[in-house]
Amino acid sequence: MNVLSTFKKNRTQLITLAVLAFLFVTAVQGMETKDWVITVLRGLSVGMVTFLVASGLSLIFGLMDVLNLAHGEMFMLGAYVGWTVFVRPDTFVDVLPPLLLLIVGLALTPVWRALLTRTNISGRVAQLWPWAALALAIAILAFTFVEFPITKWNPEVYSESPITFSLALDQGNLIMPEPKPFAASPFVSILGTLIGGSLVAIAFAGFGQRKQAGTMSQHIPRGSIVTAVILLILALAAFWGNDSLTEALVNIGTTGRFFLAMAVATIVGFIIGGVMETTMIRPLYDRPMYQLMITLGISFIVIEVVRAIWGRPEFTMPKAALFTGRGDACPAQNIGDLIANQCSTVILFDGRIRTYNEIFIILVGFVVLFAVWLLLQRTRIGMIIRAGVQDSEMVEALGINVRQVFTFVFALGVGLASLGGVLAAPSIGLSTVMGGQFLLLALIALAIGGLTSFPGAAAGAILVGLLQQFIIKYGQIGINIPFLEEPFKPSPPLVPASVVLLMVIILLILPNGLFGRNE
Amino acid sequence: MGNLLEVENIHTFIGQFHILEGVNLEVPEDSITVLLGRNGAGKTTTLKSILGLTPPREGQVVYDGHAIQGRRSFDIAAMGIGFVPEHRAIFRDLSVLENLKIAERKKGDLARKEEFIFNLFPDLKRLIKLSGMNLSGGQQQMLAVARALVPDNKLLLIDEPSEGLAPVIIEQMMEAIRQLSKNTTVLLVEQNFLMASRLAERYVIIEEGQSVKQGLMADLVDDTATIHRYLGAA
Repeated sequence: MNVLSTFKKNRTQLITLAVLAFLFVTAVQGMETKDWVITVLRGLSVGMVTFLVASGLSLIFGLMDVLNLAHGEMFMLGAYVGWTVFVRPDTFVDVLPPLLLLIVGLALTPVWRALLTRTNISGRVAQLWPWAALALAIAILAFTFVEFPITKWNPEVYSESPITFSLALDQGNLIMPEPKPFAASPFVSILGTLIGGSLVAIAFAGFGQRKQAGTMSQHIPRGSIVTAVILLILALAAFWGNDSLTEALVNIGTTGRFFLAMAVATIVGFIIGGVMETTMIRPLYDRPMYQLMITLGISFIVIEVVRAIWGRPEFTMPKAALFTGRGDACPAQNIGDLIANQCSTVILFDGRIRTYNEIFIILVGFVVLFAVWLLLQRTRIGMIIRAGVQDSEMVEALGINVRQVFTFVFALGVGLASLGGVLAAPSIGLSTVMGGQFLLLALIALAIGGLTSFPGAAAGAILVGLLQQFIIKYGQIGINIPFLEEPFKPSPPLVPASVVLLMVIILLILPNGLFGRNE
Repeated sequence: MGNLLEVENIHTFIGQFHILEGVNLEVPEDSITVLLGRNGAGKTTTLKSILGLTPPREGQVVYDGHAIQGRRSFDIAAMGIGFVPEHRAIFRDLSVLENLKIAERKKGDLARKEEFIFNLFPDLKRLIKLSGMNLSGGQQQMLAVARALVPDNKLLLIDEPSEGLAPVIIEQMMEAIRQLSKNTTVLLVEQNFLMASRLAERYVIIEEGQSVKQGLMADLVDDTATIHRYLGAA
């Protein structure tokens, strides 16, 4: 009885899925084995990168009804941050101390907030002093933060531009430029940055206090002090161990550095996401339109910042040694050989398959898919997220601080997009338009899969990836259509068009997407 | 018998609409108090204002000796207030077990209350693995009440527990509320006057956003004039 009623309830959905499966089988039937294997793998690869963008977008939209238009740019930023760790570890090490010192100050915000509730400032002074503190902080930071010497590329000069360093790394003759010495006293810079960061935190605590006077706890959170101390130690270690840390990063080789780049990009994305939610999204939950505008604004700003730092021209990111083996045993004939020789390609079903683009990306995608699924299904916070997607007010009414969960989900979503960026970079290169492209793909994938459904995000993204790759492949080999002399070859403009067409058709049949529910 | 909850002259706005224009009420400890009034009078908003879901702009809410207006909802709820919203707002994507587990405030809350909850609602034990969306209306309502019983709540705000339920289920629900009120104070919104009069010891009538009358239920039952005036034919 249950099976039958489930079938009746979801009839349209099941029929649509069946039709899609039928179309897939037909498309596969029209090709030789080696062609469809590689097409499916490429489709999955693009799908997985799209999924990394779409999953965060869907979680954020589902839980807090925020459409984060800056999500694509976070994807792009992840790629650029990952490239920096991978190709220029010296720059990465140079940037660490000032950034960590700044974060130390910000991490203490809850402590300042607790201390401020014990003071008794009111009236005009209470309104003005946070602004004064903020101005003072900016003035101090302007003199100290920028004093940290950062050895970096120069996009204006070809021989020092990112593309040159990428090529040099690829050919194995990368030489980092000489590190710059400190212009002024390093002690002043360190202390100034710490004080500047703390003042920013005090100012923000002051702004917050005005709004929520009388309702805040005086309890000093011990966790944030511990975090700050750990970060401070790390910052000082990175500062005094600069040379040896750079050397160590160069010596671990490209494979180790690539995994580090993935980790760093994810963490940076996570932190940026958290800061974005608490400072810019949170004050605007009552005004959705403003939220949309602010995420759009952030996306423009991020693009310009990236252009200023890394330059306008596109450049490549070399692949790690793990994926570029070219020994005698390559291309590998089977998976065992592939792992033993770290070949760049492997022969499967007589087709040449690139290890990184068509195997590694898919593997990482599935690992993330599984990990996020576990988080959602098996942990308490996952349970809260799933409940909050339906009714976050009720979750709050149960005594759960939903805002904290909002921040976590926003940070997680941006972190995933950032990971997607660094994962895609060796395959598609780095450019300032990559964010917009994948944001669009991700939005289409969500519309197809169902806006707030996590399985929907995965299915939609994979569907979008597969469809594109099949159209591309059929553009090369042609489709035999009865009564036509020549095989029909879909032209390249049909690739993006096909995805939108699929979305339109699915939305006409299922207005809430494949796995969406009518809320 | 002291008052667990005192609401003093609260004014609540939703958007630009002035919904509550001065609501006063008292909920004595270990009693069942019912909010009566016509549709749209502001009963649900009163509950939500107490909990801070629609924070009152003026007035005072004193719970257990603390002024709680202006605090965040999760803070207020964590002080021991459970909420059973109207329309059986359980989490449809969560299983029955998860719907109960999510309400835990301390580890082991559910384990301690399990027996009591399943005694009140034996059906839920059988459905424990089912997803919320597969429950019937009555089962969903039972789950919504059960969820509010998981943590140690001193006060339960229950909004229209009988709405849209079959008479047999309403009887069961009434019995459950009577049982749980032995160790929990209850503030109830109920359209069904018969059910309200059999359950509650005290009543508060809300009319156009104002509390117009409150007192003992026993007095109201005989006061047909008041019933007609504020509640229509009963």
